[in-house]
Amino acid sequence: MNNSSKKGGFDVDIRSLLKIQHKKVYAICRLFADTYKEHQFLFTNIMAAASQNIRGRRENSDKQTLVLRACINMAALHSITTEMAPVVERSIQFKSPDYQRSMTRLRQSIGEASDYEKFRLFLELEKMPVEELTHLTGLPHSKHVSGKKKEKEAGLRKTSFNFIPYLKRQLVWN
Amino acid sequence: MELKKLQEHWDSFPEVSMEERPVLSSDLEKIVVKNPLSDAFYLRRRLLARIIIFSVLWIVNAVQLRSQWISDGPDISELVVLFGLLTYCLYFHIRLLFFADYPTLLSLPLISFLGKLETVLDKYILSFRFVSGLSGFYLLALIQYLLWTWNKGAHETLSHNDWYKWLILIFISVSVDILFLHSVIPKYRKLLAGVRKYREGIQAKAQYK
Repeated sequence: MNNSSKKGGFDVDIRSLLKIQHKKVYAICRLFADTYKEHQFLFTNIMAAASQNIRGRRENSDKQTLVLRACINMAALHSITTEMAPVVERSIQFKSPDYQRSMTRLRQSIGEASDYEKFRLFLELEKMPVEELTHLTGLPHSKHVSGKKKEKEAGLRKTSFNFIPYLKRQLVWN
Repeated sequence: MELKKLQEHWDSFPEVSMEERPVLSSDLEKIVVKNPLSDAFYLRRRLLARIIIFSVLWIVNAVQLRSQWISDGPDISELVVLFGLLTYCLYFHIRLLFFADYPTLLSLPLISFLGKLETVLDKYILSFRFVSGLSGFYLLALIQYLLWTWNKGAHETLSHNDWYKWLILIFISVSVDILFLHSVIPKYRKLLAGVRKYREGIQAKAQYK
C-alpha cells in the first residue's frame, strides 16, 4: 500500500500504526484513569495527539517514539487537570466487574506511586528498555545523572555568557 | 518478586468491555483529527484572533497617523505611541504563536513539553498587559467621541490638554489591567502553577531515583 495514500484527508499509514499501537494506549490509560469515562477521554486524546505527532513529524523522528511521547504527555496533562479539579473522592469505577476487579488490584499493587514511577512502570511492564524514558521525558537516565550533571555544570561555567538574568529571561524564551 | 507478580497481572489484564471501550474503527478518523489539547492549554485560536484584530487596528492607526502627519494634527504624539504599542503587540503575539508551534508541541519530550507550555502560558499572561495598554487608548477615544456628541465644550478642553488626556489614558489602562488581574488572569496563573509544580515534581523524583 502506498504510504501517502489518503482517504478523506486521513493518512492510511497512520490509521494502521494507531491500530497496532492501541494496546499500549490502553495500557497507559490503566495507570492514569480511574473511571471508564476518564479512560475513554484519555484514550481518544492520546490517539489524537499521536496522529498529530506523526503527521507533523520531522524526518529523523521515529513513529514509535512519537506515539509513546503522545501517551506520556497526554497522561501528564490528564494528571495536571485532575489535580486542579475540585477535590472529590476518587475511586475505581468500571462497568465490567472483571475489569473493575483487575483495576482495583492494580491500584493496590502500585499504591501511591508518583507519575514518574508510573512512567517507569509502564515501560517496564510493556517490556521496553527503561533507557527509553530519557527519549520520552528528556530526563537523564538515573545512572548517568550525577556524571552528566557535573559535565553540564562544568560546560556552563566554561561557556557562560555573562547575561543579565532578567534580560535573558525576557529575550530568550526557552 | 513483587514486580514479577505485577507483570503477570498486567499480562493477564482483561480487555475493556465493549460498552466502555472507545470506538476504534469507524470513529478513528474523527478521533485523530480532533485537537487533543483542552481549551485552557490550546491558545492558538485566541492568539490568531488577537493577531487579526491588532493587524486591522495597526492599519487603521497607520492611515490616521499618516493623515495627522500630513496635516500636522494635534494627536500625533498619541498616535505615534499607539503605533509603537500596536507594532510591538503584533510582533509579540506572532512570535508567541510561532514559538508555541502547536502541531509539533506534543511530540516533544515531557520536560521540554511542560517547559514550553509554561513559557507560552507565562507570555500569554504578560500579553494582557499590552491589551490593557491598548484598551486605554481606545477607551479614551471612545470617551472623546461621547464628549463630542454630548458636550462639545468639554471635548474641546480635553482635546487641547495633553496632560489630562495622558492621565485619563494611564488611569483607564491601569483599571483594565486590575480588571484582568481579578477576572481572566487567575485561571491562567493557576494553570501555570499546576504545570510548574508537576514538572518540578517529576524532575525531583528523577533526581531522587
